[in-house]
Amino acid sequence: MPFCSTNCGNKAILKRPKTGDTLCKECFFEAFENEIHFTIERAKLFRPGATVAIAASGGKDSTVLAYVLKLLNEKYKYNLKLLLLSIDEGITGYRDDSLDTVKQNRDDYEMPLKILSYKDLYGWTMDEIVAEIGRKNNCTFCGVFRRQALDRGAHLLKVDYLATGHNADDIAETVLMNILRGDLARLSRCTAITTDSGDGIPRVKPLKYTFEKEIVMYAYFRKLIYFSTECVFAPNAYRGHARILLKDLEKIDPSIIMNIIQSGEDLKVNENAKIPTLTRCTRCNYVSSQDVCKACILLEGLNKGLPRLGIGKSSKVKRLLQENEEKETNRLVCNGKDNTCICKNSKVPIIK
Amino acid sequence: MCSLDDNFENKEVKHFPKVEKINLRDLKCNKCRENIPVVLLRHKDAYCKECFLAGATHKFKALLGKTKLIRPHDRVLISYEVGHPSTALLHFLRSGLDLNTPKQLRFEPVIVFLEDQWHLTVEERIEIVEKVKKEISWFKFQVNLVSFADSVCNNNIVISQMNLELHENNKENINSILKKHINRTNKKEVLNILRRNILISIAKKLNCRYIITPELSVDIATNLLTNICLGKGSQVPDDTGFCDHRDKDVKILRPLRTFDMKEVAFYNIFNNLTPVTVRQPDVHQYSSIQTLVNHFITDLQDNYPATVTTIVKTGDKLASGDHIVRDKCKLCQGIILEKTDELNSEESTKFSRLLSNELIDHALSREDRYLKIKYKFDSCTDRNQRYCFSCSKISEFILLNDTN
Repeated sequence: MPFCSTNCGNKAILKRPKTGDTLCKECFFEAFENEIHFTIERAKLFRPGATVAIAASGGKDSTVLAYVLKLLNEKYKYNLKLLLLSIDEGITGYRDDSLDTVKQNRDDYEMPLKILSYKDLYGWTMDEIVAEIGRKNNCTFCGVFRRQALDRGAHLLKVDYLATGHNADDIAETVLMNILRGDLARLSRCTAITTDSGDGIPRVKPLKYTFEKEIVMYAYFRKLIYFSTECVFAPNAYRGHARILLKDLEKIDPSIIMNIIQSGEDLKVNENAKIPTLTRCTRCNYVSSQDVCKACILLEGLNKGLPRLGIGKSSKVKRLLQENEEKETNRLVCNGKDNTCICKNSKVPIIK
Repeated sequence: MCSLDDNFENKEVKHFPKVEKINLRDLKCNKCRENIPVVLLRHKDAYCKECFLAGATHKFKALLGKTKLIRPHDRVLISYEVGHPSTALLHFLRSGLDLNTPKQLRFEPVIVFLEDQWHLTVEERIEIVEKVKKEISWFKFQVNLVSFADSVCNNNIVISQMNLELHENNKENINSILKKHINRTNKKEVLNILRRNILISIAKKLNCRYIITPELSVDIATNLLTNICLGKGSQVPDDTGFCDHRDKDVKILRPLRTFDMKEVAFYNIFNNLTPVTVRQPDVHQYSSIQTLVNHFITDLQDNYPATVTTIVKTGDKLASGDHIVRDKCKLCQGIILEKTDELNSEESTKFSRLLSNELIDHALSREDRYLKIKYKFDSCTDRNQRYCFSCSKISEFILLNDTN
């Protein structure tokens, strides 16, 4: 290894993918932390004195995020009240173990921890859902429910901000993926460092400009405890075309990741193009781009024994939902008293 | 972080549908519903020869007509590049001009062949130029020949209608305008930009207000992803849209941007046209960003053809950000956006670079150290940018005095 780029005289321990410079351990720690501080300060991520929930999974990103936020909060006097928010999906052999890591973080970093479970929120654990739907498509449930569970948790804890551990690699990958999928709505908002989900609790990404590789190196050299096992239901999941392409691009030049983020930031959706706007779900009142949010649709499917209801095109789902609703109203009308019922079926059993 | 993509498992089915095998003899033409189809497009739509040719011609004219940019009697520079797309383009033009119906094309095409096949020997190149001349005159067009290497190195464009002087050292001459340690990605990017700039200069010399280039949907998709990877997001609409507005006098149009290679190849076959072919250089997939993206897109086109269309359509719906345009890049004429108050990727990288080269001063407190470096960063921020984000990275490798 060459010497540290800062000319401190020490041997370097890593080559930075972002700039190509080489740094020794001490200079790396300071640069890594100061960069995150710069991002927080420059993008005005937090209001002084605010309460911030850190979405903690026990993985490397959220562990490093919690550690660095605590450190910067003390060093640079943000005056923030930090707490951890974890979601227990109910996956035996995966989440139960990673929650132990989060509990370790709680004790190490002296932050209060709130764990919300799918069982409490939705009445189903992921284990039960997988038993119902099978190994395919189960991540649809997990992803949709977690997003909303974090919203609910933030609401419940009455926090001012929800910080997530999305890193630069994640953001660049999302930009590529949304282009390949033609998802304009997500493409236009995925590079924003702060997103508002309509409930007044902004989601912030302090690690937006931090490379995954550096996060791993930081956790390793700081000897942070994190959980690195893959989910038992979807090992090797989320390795779509976008990820493969990004990994290949990185091999040629890792700073491409910053270019892709820059491109995403400079893009805007044409005024003539139609994109869905964020509204509220008519059933649960949480943020959604449809009348009824995906979480409610999936839940309805589970509860009615039609687990595949919410999977597939949203237009098809809408039609199915409507049919379901019509059936319900028809049943209520056909209670034997009214002969002019639209279904003209007198054999319908009286249910009320 | 699997929550980023909440649908990834059924993504294979939903966004990347696998193709099924279809037997043409069991089908009827999608259009006339009578004849037995002879060509299957997009792995699902079957057409007979007549309907296919009529459809292709219509698609070409519709895109040109819809935009209403070219007026009758305008001179339009046609950039001829060896291969199926250019041959089909010449045929579209000739058959359009020769019509006697109101659908006749009324502009005046000027064909130019900008020669840049340095991967071949001089003998091979001379042979290709002869073949190109023959093909263009077969379509009853006047040929204009320009040497890319000479145009770049002498900073002077010589247009010949007879012959092109080709030299063994053209490749070295081109390399001599670039610094030695430039990587392949940047080199390709510089040459692409120079090629575009020379085409615009030729158009100005020949009094053309428009340039037509033969890019297909695959080229557009490749270009779009490459632009994203090189940090040229703000230039996607100009670089991959139907019309490139960056030059105020000459616009570049891409009327073949919705065609795929199969369509133009079959168009040529049904019209008994044999395009000039060129031995392609053998490039490694990982040699540059451009080749990698090209490989990725070609692979997509083979296995999931709908995705290429999705990428092209996504590009159509993009505009450059709502920031104020401050200036135009000296190299690529792309827009340079006014700095906003928002932190962006470029600024973050610059700060990281400064931080990675700054010796930690242990005499100061942590806070004071940060304030010192922040002050240094703020005072060295360049306000008078002459290049766009992407070109600022490659401009340092160009040794030419006049990059305009």
